[in-house]
Amino acid sequence: MKSGQEQFPSAARLKSILPLWPLLPAAFYLITFLFVVLSYLLYLSFSTASGAFPTLATAGNVFAMNEFRQAFVSTLLFVIVGTPLELVAGLALAMLIYKPFFLRSIVRTLFIIPLAVPGLVTATLLFIIFDSNGGFMNHILMGKYWFFPHVIRHAVDWRGAQWSALSVAMIGKIWRDVPISMLILLGGINAIDPELFDAAKTMGAGLRQRFRYVILPLIIPAISSVLLLRSIEMWKEFIFPYILAGRYHLLGTLIEFLYMEWGGKYEHEAAFVALVLVGCIVVSVAVFMFLVDIVRRMVSDVR
Amino acid sequence: MSELIIKNIQKFYGDHKVIDKLDLQINSGEFVTLLGPSGCGKTTLLRMIAGLETIDGGELYIGGRKANNIPAQKRRIAMVFQSYALFPHMSVKNNIVFGLRIKGMELHDMFTRLDWVLPLLGLEGLENRLPREISGGQRQRVALARALVLDPDVLLLDEPLSNLDTALREMAMEELKRVHRQVGKTIIYVTHNQAEAMTMSERIAVMNAGHLEQYDTPGALYRHPRTMFSAEFIGSPSANFIPGTIEIKNGELVLNSEIGLLEIDETRKDYLRNFSGRSVVAGIRPQDIILSSTRTHRRASDSHVTLGVELIENHGDRSFVLGRFENGLPVRFMAANDSDYRTDARVEVLIDGRCIHLFDPETRQNILEK
Amino acid sequence: MGKLDRFTPTSPLKRLVWTIGIVATAFMVMAPVYLLVKYSISDMESINTGGLPVPLWPYHPTFAVFSYLFTDPEFWQVVLNSLWIAIGTVLLSSLLGVPAAYVLARYKVPFRRAILIGIISVRLFPDISSVIPISVFFISLNLYSSFSGVILAHTLLALPYVIFIGMSAFEGIPRDIEEQAMTMGANQFQIFFRILLPIAIPGLAAAAIYTFLLSWDEFIFAHFLLDPGGKIQTLTLYLRSRITFQPPQNLLAAISVCLSLPVIIFSFAVQKYMISGMTAGSVK
Ligand SMILES: Nc1ncnc2c1ncn2[C@@H]1O[C@H](COP(=O)(O)OP(=O)(O)O)[C@@H](O)[C@H]1O
Ligand SMILES: [Mg+2]
Repeated sequence: MKSGQEQFPSAARLKSILPLWPLLPAAFYLITFLFVVLSYLLYLSFSTASGAFPTLATAGNVFAMNEFRQAFVSTLLFVIVGTPLELVAGLALAMLIYKPFFLRSIVRTLFIIPLAVPGLVTATLLFIIFDSNGGFMNHILMGKYWFFPHVIRHAVDWRGAQWSALSVAMIGKIWRDVPISMLILLGGINAIDPELFDAAKTMGAGLRQRFRYVILPLIIPAISSVLLLRSIEMWKEFIFPYILAGRYHLLGTLIEFLYMEWGGKYEHEAAFVALVLVGCIVVSVAVFMFLVDIVRRMVSDVR
Repeated sequence: MSELIIKNIQKFYGDHKVIDKLDLQINSGEFVTLLGPSGCGKTTLLRMIAGLETIDGGELYIGGRKANNIPAQKRRIAMVFQSYALFPHMSVKNNIVFGLRIKGMELHDMFTRLDWVLPLLGLEGLENRLPREISGGQRQRVALARALVLDPDVLLLDEPLSNLDTALREMAMEELKRVHRQVGKTIIYVTHNQAEAMTMSERIAVMNAGHLEQYDTPGALYRHPRTMFSAEFIGSPSANFIPGTIEIKNGELVLNSEIGLLEIDETRKDYLRNFSGRSVVAGIRPQDIILSSTRTHRRASDSHVTLGVELIENHGDRSFVLGRFENGLPVRFMAANDSDYRTDARVEVLIDGRCIHLFDPETRQNILEK
Repeated sequence: MGKLDRFTPTSPLKRLVWTIGIVATAFMVMAPVYLLVKYSISDMESINTGGLPVPLWPYHPTFAVFSYLFTDPEFWQVVLNSLWIAIGTVLLSSLLGVPAAYVLARYKVPFRRAILIGIISVRLFPDISSVIPISVFFISLNLYSSFSGVILAHTLLALPYVIFIGMSAFEGIPRDIEEQAMTMGANQFQIFFRILLPIAIPGLAAAAIYTFLLSWDEFIFAHFLLDPGGKIQTLTLYLRSRITFQPPQNLLAAISVCLSLPVIIFSFAVQKYMISGMTAGSVK
């Protein structure tokens, strides 16, 4: 359209694009769903059950909801506490097995077991263990076994209080997903030339100093990967709070609650919360990128 | 005070014996090279000295102190790695002072050291660059600076020049010699390149398959190889080996070899008389096989042999000639370029009996040197 | 041991700390699996202990709940449903994903990087946010509470993995083989079906297993797209429906075991690919 000759793709160009046709079905599929998801999400969020569109009435309803504000704060806390915990746990595991040792591959496989257990199953198990009445965890903490000290006097109703219910959900989430952090960090550590550790050793650096001055700065990319990907997962979390935290909602479970519990009455509000959740992820990714950039600049200033 | 003694040292990887009862003694301030083919255990030995590898048997003394169980951090050694192992996220300056920082040195002293080492290795102006922003030769010098600045008792260098091109390598070799003269540190240098070892070291430890073949000055190694391995590994191109027996022919002690009778030097005859009847392998350096036409006077110890020229490799002033003796045994020798020989020609060469090294085919030891 | 012991800690104290770390972690990792099995074979006396500590091993181990489950037609029905949905998802996502993976791995695709990032972001989009638009859409298409609706949705989830794992399977095949075939006059179809596909089968099988497992233990879409009172339920929904105020713990555990057993077994078969699927996007 820019010039006469370019109105039709040249034969050569066509020939180079033609073999790409097997991409089309998958592309069509993904794009259709993308379109459906985005357009319906926007439409539902900015319309009401009575058919008004566009309107901020739904948004107003949501923001006026006590549950929404609570769920937002809880989710934020869940992300802010859970992500670093998962990073630290993943780093600890990675540090345990980054050195080659006898049977390492078997130990590594063992460490990946949590990934192979469906999240729903893990949540169910925690549901059983953290039962308020005769639950295993209560018995342990009440000192009923030789292997653990007496910590609490009375059985705790774990699912009956917001902080404990969400903490149990977070424990489940971290237990299940820590192998992913471990694997990403392991990849980062194994990419470091082991002679760097040897060099640091001959220069007098002990274990802690090698970690602080050699490993840590060199796995910053892996760490930021973990923080980014895992924080997105934390925002999205559904199954653990759904099973374990009942009415103490995170954004994800609030969406389910609004959509399912009221016979479709709050469909639009549910969609709006879903949109807010997407917005939260986008904003937190942007903030994160900004912070990483600052950290990177600080690191390069130091040199 | 910084001499190094290695006694009966051993290293195993599982059942695989990598270092086998090795003894080595290095004087304070000496420049010693560990020389041997790849995989013979040089790096392993160096890492054991550095404390990066456990010692499975024997003893290691650094500066008179038993060091077997002193961790690497406390050994007062410094090491330059083959890959240089510069910290990629630290500037040249921070790489160099890393060890001093770890030791908690005062900032002022740190800068004094830095001001000493930067000009010593010509690194001024590169302080703030990252390792990836400097050339290979500069990286090598940073690695050396990083080791020197620690003021170690012993400096260990693992093939530090193998990643440099030829021109740079020659410069770096001179520089390393100069630095050694200036700082006077005990240096253990590892290489598989015999030319590097010969030019730089005061003594060379020739290693083969985890044990020590010979430990001598470069000159002694060349003139008096203790084993067939030394004779083969030292000198370029490597020596020719010709099987034969020591015999008495017409009352004279001679070497009856596969390429004919070879004269034995008068001075050795008395000693070798005890060996008559024994089979031996004669080692002859390519430099000791001389075209008869280029030699005007004759010596009693000379033997004449004819051979066919097969291939001539011109090296400028001289050529490296590949030929075959009449019995089909291949031979290498060097010849001046102005003399008269061509491919496919038959030429007569001289072998000086004084230059023949005799080895026991079983033990592969030199029977003349002990 | 050989090369392996090169980096293990040398001092006895460090070795001890390290060993304790490994053992403790292994314990943390295994304990839940152990407990799950333990609860599934517990008798009632080991569960309702009346204040006594819950035994670490059941007083009278029993497979009673399993035999109850296995004689319950509803259980078999939900297993079959889950199976059908998973198989449908595998077929549909392979049909769509494998050709795309092949093209992305083998041809110069314009905007390749952007496409790949787009595919990864599909995975980063929260399921719980996309499920509402999709269920509203499916209701309007009469796909609500049908097998095909769930299969279509699961395919959406699985497609990025199929494409990524498939791509690495095709990329692992040396180009020479193809070029050799081309010089012998084979066309695009023949090269794909006769040469590349057979070689890529192990990798593609891994993608299929991964997809199967993803669908088998998926909860959110099944929960939203299948009428809770309707005829079609999956195993995950079945398990969820048993989690009530005071549920029989051994029953929950037994269903959980049935749900996770295939996942645990097959996960280790496709461990390598699963890891690459899980960590896809971590390498920028
Ligand atoms: N970590 C290790 N595990 C097992 N064998 C090793 C290890 N490191 C080196 N080796 C073996 O030890 C021998 C000596 O290796 P090395 O010291 O690196 O030789 P060099 O430096 O002389 O080339 C080689 O045969 C090598 O395969
Ligand atoms: Mg080496």
